[in-house]
Amino acid sequence: MSGSIDRRSFLKILGWGGVGTALSGCDLPSTVTLEEGKEEVVSYLMPEEYVIPGVGVWYASTCTQCNAGCGAHGRVREGRVLKLEGNPESSINNGNLCMMGQAGVQGHYNPDRIRSPMMREAGKLVPVTWEKAMAAVNAKVSAAKGDQVAWFTGSLSGHQATLVANHLDALGSKNHYVHETINNAVWQSVCKDTLGEANPRLRIDKAQMVLSFGADFLGTWVSPVHFSGEYAKFRKQKRRGVLVQIEPKMSLTGANADLWLPSVPGSEGVIALGIANILVKSYSKDISQFPSGVQDLVKKYDAATVTKITGIDEKRLKRIAELLSQRSPSLVLAGAPVEGHANGYNAVAAVMLLNQLLGNIGRTIESAGEFPFEQMQGVAGGTGDLFKFIQAAKNNQLAVAFFHGANPKYAAPAAMGYDSALNNVPFKVAIAQFLDETTAAADVVLPLSSFLEDWGTHVAAYQPVQTVIGIQQPLMEKLYADTRGLGDILVELLKAVNEREYSGFADYYAYLRQAHAAMPSQAKGSGTDEQTWNTALQKGVINITPGAKQIASSAVNFEDPAAEGDAGASTLYLAPSARLGLWDGRHANLPWLQEAPDQISKLVWDSWAEIHPSTAAKLGIKQGSIVNVKSEHGAVKVKAILLKSIHPNVIAIPLGQGHETYGRYAKDRGVNPLKILNPTKEEKTGELAMYATRVSVANTNQSEVVVKMGSSDTQAGRRLVVTMPVEQYQRSEGT
Amino acid sequence: MSLDNLLGNWSQYRKAHEDGGFHDYEHRWGMAIDLDICTGCNACSTACYAENNLAVVGKERFEKGQAMHWLRVERYWDQSELDHPEQGASFLPMMCQQCDAATCEPVCPVAATYHTPDGLNAQVYNRCIGSRYCSNNCPFRVRYFNFYSYYESSWPEPLNMQLNPDITVRDKGVMEKCTFCVQRLRSAKDKAKMENRKVEDGDVTTACAQACPTNAIVFGDWQDENSQVAKLWKKHQVTRAVTKQKKDNPEKRGYRIFEELNVDPSTMYLERVREKI
Repeated sequence: MSGSIDRRSFLKILGWGGVGTALSGCDLPSTVTLEEGKEEVVSYLMPEEYVIPGVGVWYASTCTQCNAGCGAHGRVREGRVLKLEGNPESSINNGNLCMMGQAGVQGHYNPDRIRSPMMREAGKLVPVTWEKAMAAVNAKVSAAKGDQVAWFTGSLSGHQATLVANHLDALGSKNHYVHETINNAVWQSVCKDTLGEANPRLRIDKAQMVLSFGADFLGTWVSPVHFSGEYAKFRKQKRRGVLVQIEPKMSLTGANADLWLPSVPGSEGVIALGIANILVKSYSKDISQFPSGVQDLVKKYDAATVTKITGIDEKRLKRIAELLSQRSPSLVLAGAPVEGHANGYNAVAAVMLLNQLLGNIGRTIESAGEFPFEQMQGVAGGTGDLFKFIQAAKNNQLAVAFFHGANPKYAAPAAMGYDSALNNVPFKVAIAQFLDETTAAADVVLPLSSFLEDWGTHVAAYQPVQTVIGIQQPLMEKLYADTRGLGDILVELLKAVNEREYSGFADYYAYLRQAHAAMPSQAKGSGTDEQTWNTALQKGVINITPGAKQIASSAVNFEDPAAEGDAGASTLYLAPSARLGLWDGRHANLPWLQEAPDQISKLVWDSWAEIHPSTAAKLGIKQGSIVNVKSEHGAVKVKAILLKSIHPNVIAIPLGQGHETYGRYAKDRGVNPLKILNPTKEEKTGELAMYATRVSVANTNQSEVVVKMGSSDTQAGRRLVVTMPVEQYQRSEGT
Repeated sequence: MSLDNLLGNWSQYRKAHEDGGFHDYEHRWGMAIDLDICTGCNACSTACYAENNLAVVGKERFEKGQAMHWLRVERYWDQSELDHPEQGASFLPMMCQQCDAATCEPVCPVAATYHTPDGLNAQVYNRCIGSRYCSNNCPFRVRYFNFYSYYESSWPEPLNMQLNPDITVRDKGVMEKCTFCVQRLRSAKDKAKMENRKVEDGDVTTACAQACPTNAIVFGDWQDENSQVAKLWKKHQVTRAVTKQKKDNPEKRGYRIFEELNVDPSTMYLERVREKI
């Protein structure tokens, strides 16, 4: 592959067949209308190469708005990408796409993108050339000792992860810190210990019953679009699947449950043990193969004890156990509210015990098999690396840090001391599309192309059907000539530290082509490199059937999952709840997602604190009251929203807002609950215990108008959403 | 007409169904939305913003009820007597129901809203004078008025490059609403015509239906009895031109919202199901 061919020529050579041919190589937009009166008006009689005016064509790529790795189709017309849809070829999302994926185009066309490299001079970031920026970066990297260089990224996979690993390898560093605020790291750890693999397939579609402790699989958990598809099948089984959700604050999944029960954060493990107790006692589930410590725990938490601790009615517990024993196979899941405590691992392990007792392993929890290309699988993040990074910085172990795809300055609780630790990292490089908090604090900013302008390969950590290598290809020319793709930057960085091996690659595309050429043919299919590459681009996915593997089920020991004592009357548990939409805050600069009402509260463009009306009454709080939510480590002022979809001892502040910078749509809007969290660690995994913070809530006697969709919260007797009892449904549509 | 006369002869005046503008429909685009698998996730609504050049109005104008969400997902709480909504929320994707006997149509002083031979309730933007009578008369509240010109505030450059060139950006003083993605229907019809065939089921779908992660929204030609949407209507014993469905089996889930108002909506909903535990 030579870099001397210009882009348009090689696109032509590739002949990206199927629905259309190649991308336009035009200046944008090439066919402007007379009304707009700008640029030259191109005659329709002389179309640009490959551009048929008025005809949209679709190209396959991969969505990177979260880490699920959904396949995307982009509609390209007159050289512009206009709309994203799901790629039907992808077994992850089967042609569908969530709201965040839909809004991908708004990140690409965002008015607040960084358009040129910047360097800090006299305390301010000023525009510089790429040459100057890269020279500075390379000088600092070569001046540093190898192990003083670090990468701090979001979850990475595919060849981007490979190149980051290779960059660190070439330097002799192991410092890759991977951060995701919304993750399932503790669940993965429990799966690894009990089932032998971190991401087994979860077959919601095969389950007769799903009992979920705070796992918001329809909204923010692991692979929401895939799980939504499975959920539809789960509901449409001959016997309609039944969903029970137990969690502190109603999630989108909870809003779809047949039974939703509120729980105090940290009590879920005890509830799971209580159900296990009933299953053993009344439904003769066999617990003999489990360690005696586990058996003792199950014995300890009989229904009456659990009711006393958790406030969940004994009858309810018994009914759930009865249903679980009847509706087999079932699936029991645990999400962030269960994981987010000092002993979150134990609570998740107690949930996994239910799956083992109920015989779900191998039935609704299947092995994902052996993926042959381990390097491609990359690294899935959690919050544990945030502690490690801060510690390394505090110890003056880091000289150069690269940041990409993560915003630790925004995500780190104030008490973790991120800001002061960062002062000990003398040279910080941010590779970013936007000036978020982390990027604004960098010494060098390298402007990133959007995911619709860049190449890449993606292998999601969770693979539901087979292993999908998602192909990301540019859907249009770069909007700003001075931005570069992550891969291109990595290749250039690698050339500086390992010239011998990387000088042959003109750019990331050349690297990817070679990588593809080197891929074993049984994985990419038969044909010439050109043919298999074109097929991969057309389909947007390379499907790999992973090697068959039997799922293990080991009876592991775990400790008492009960959280430390009652919060007491004056304090509430803080739930920093995740929203499908703004996610961990990364999408707060996308106006469609700001204007899309929160699924549960229906508020827009804002932060709020959800609180139960009975608690609000005790504290003298009304709808719209500004309350001061104070933890040991800080306070936020935010308006209260009265909702019954929350435990009375919990106050929930959604994630996503409270940006100090990050563009016009995100800046100075709402509050960031992450800032006031206690820096408690989950003891076994080292993750941040996100649900372990208690707060006091006081009314400030100020109030604000609540801006939300819909004036009525009830149907007021109208037949808008009609609900049918399942018995009728079974008669008319089931069996 | 005296009141006595009106009341005494009500059944003569109140026909089962208003005569629509057409009797030889080319297509009758219709929809079926399964509320049991709709999760309320907002994918449809955001897809609609992307497809139809919907303006983002911002917090202050949203508060005044000026949001332009052609397709909104409503959320209701049904168990107000309980301490907690134990059966979750009730979500309702609500958009123009493309009523056959649309109440918005006859009140338009300039016939900017009219019925098409495709069974759509169309809005002619450049005929609209902004009286807002139609919006006032719509029982579903799915018509949205451009109180301002949003071009600059909603699409600062280069966000405007995302705009769908197949349809317009509406300006101040104009009413707008869901069109069942008429631009997609148009191009599907053109394509079929060029290939000298009829539009087949599956040739075209709306942006909302395409995005839906659970495939809860089904769109198609209700007149084509082989279409999925027509089959669903039939299966659930819902038909047009009635103010009350006569079902052999009242346990079938299909219903139309506000059909008792004699508006004859083109969207059928399927009841949400809950198991009592």
